[in-house]
Amino acid sequence: MNTTILHWLGDRVRDLLLQVPLEIVRLLFIALPVLVLIWVVRQPGQQTGSGDTAMRSQTGLKLGAAVALLLQALVYSLL
Amino acid sequence: MSTPLSALDLVLLAVYLAGTLGLGLWIGRSIQTGEDFFLGGRRLPWWAIGMSLVATDIGGTDIIGVGGAAYRSGLAVANFEWIGCVPAMIVGAFVFIPFFWRTGVATIPEYLERRFDVRVRTSLSICWQIFMACNLGVMLLASARMTSVLFGWNETLCIVATAILVGLYTIIGGLAAVVYTDMIQCGVMIAGCLLVLVLGVANLGGPEEFWGRLSPEQKSLVLPLDTETPFPWTGILFGLALILSPAYWIGNQAIVQRSLGAKSAFQAQAAYVWGALLKNLIPVIIVLPGLVAALQFPELEEGDEAFPSLVSSLLPSGLRGIFLAAFLAALMSSVDSYLNSASTLIAHDLYRRFLNPTADPRRMLTVGRLVTGVLVIWAVVFALVLSLFDEGIYTIFQTLMSFFQGPALAVLLAGALWRRATGTGALVAFLGGIATTVGQFLLQNPTVCSWLNLQPLFRIREPFLYYSVWGFLVAVILLVLVSLLTRREPDEKLAYLVRSARP
Repeated sequence: MNTTILHWLGDRVRDLLLQVPLEIVRLLFIALPVLVLIWVVRQPGQQTGSGDTAMRSQTGLKLGAAVALLLQALVYSLL
Repeated sequence: MSTPLSALDLVLLAVYLAGTLGLGLWIGRSIQTGEDFFLGGRRLPWWAIGMSLVATDIGGTDIIGVGGAAYRSGLAVANFEWIGCVPAMIVGAFVFIPFFWRTGVATIPEYLERRFDVRVRTSLSICWQIFMACNLGVMLLASARMTSVLFGWNETLCIVATAILVGLYTIIGGLAAVVYTDMIQCGVMIAGCLLVLVLGVANLGGPEEFWGRLSPEQKSLVLPLDTETPFPWTGILFGLALILSPAYWIGNQAIVQRSLGAKSAFQAQAAYVWGALLKNLIPVIIVLPGLVAALQFPELEEGDEAFPSLVSSLLPSGLRGIFLAAFLAALMSSVDSYLNSASTLIAHDLYRRFLNPTADPRRMLTVGRLVTGVLVIWAVVFALVLSLFDEGIYTIFQTLMSFFQGPALAVLLAGALWRRATGTGALVAFLGGIATTVGQFLLQNPTVCSWLNLQPLFRIREPFLYYSVWGFLVAVILLVLVSLLTRREPDEKLAYLVRSARP
């Protein structure tokens, strides 16, 4: 069976990724929701209404997103 | 194996079906215009949309198939519901969904015409229309086959009955009927699957006994690159979490459309956040039963027998009707959404764009209902034609049809975020990306490889996650190169960048 340059390229990428320890990989899986969480918390509030109501709505939205993402970080820390 | 149903099971099922149909028809009374039909009059609340998002995402075959994959490969299949959904939904909620809502478009391809040109809109819309129209037939057939195996029902009758039932309330009630029935279906689906899980875990001696008996591989979400399963960490992280998941939650018309029907941009955002919270629960109810079955019935020949085996052995007469209702709820919530979204694409991106640009709201309502009716007939015919072939044909069909999602994401991201992206760049990237994914698929096919005397391109079984990575990367490279070589888009197009549209 022959190979092509695409096979060669794929094998090089595969060899490289095989070097990454599974512990580091797990950290990457945890980092993804954590990074999104940090980004969400730093988001500026958007105009969704007036005054306190708009502020409360945005806070509620960020809180919901934070819970969803923290659950993800927890799941990937444990499993 | 066939699970016997009692009269009580059938009564429960009939009550559920009659309730769903009644709700859909009742909502249909208030549909007066095309906007009511396609976007629920932009009056849909966040809590209903959020549950509809989750219900649409879980099809009838997913309940059985995901449980079966967990039986074979362990918990790693839960990645599709966790890291393969939640981060992308949250990013969508805070950037793309409120942005699309504010642009006032009815379809994602419509946005791409405003940002790029009609060529990009039409290319993407045609791909989605073909995908959705064919997927309707595939979903009906796959579920009917499963129902006939599970309950011994006639396959053709299942296809026709499901299509008529779902078609009726979708034609009359439009998106609003789809979203509110989805909400009920989401609740039924969660209740039915949770029932199977609770009884299954109790039967094994409780949660600690259940968890303690699983092997470390069965309990791990992160699998090594050289795993025997189709879920190595590289495919999950790069292919699923970073490409397919955003493509699905940000660019799939069937998903995004219901958020475009929200009362406000904020409600559209809240729907996605609510959906993301619910998504944390989904693997618990559809993946864990597969692991319960792995302990209880370790000798099953097919993983897809896992869920039905639990239903047969655990659920007494009467409760089996609840599981069947959950299965049908999952099927109906996906079929109705694809039906409504396919008709939206055809009505807006073909009919109004090319045939009748001045169509009034009443006319659009008529067209929407007519197109939905034609799609119902098409789906039944296509499902019946597919049923004449070997089972593998629709699996291949479904895989082929999903090849454009990585390139479509590249075009959408560039359109929303990169000022210098041009229409010609987007078109070349989209077509080049599709050619790349199709090329990879062919170079993995045993017949083609044998004919060319080549080794398969990937070492893993079912490398569909890798196709999307390379398709996306090639599309990005082409988009950057061609955009830089072509003339900048005028300022009115750049008004459709996320940064420009922010309040």
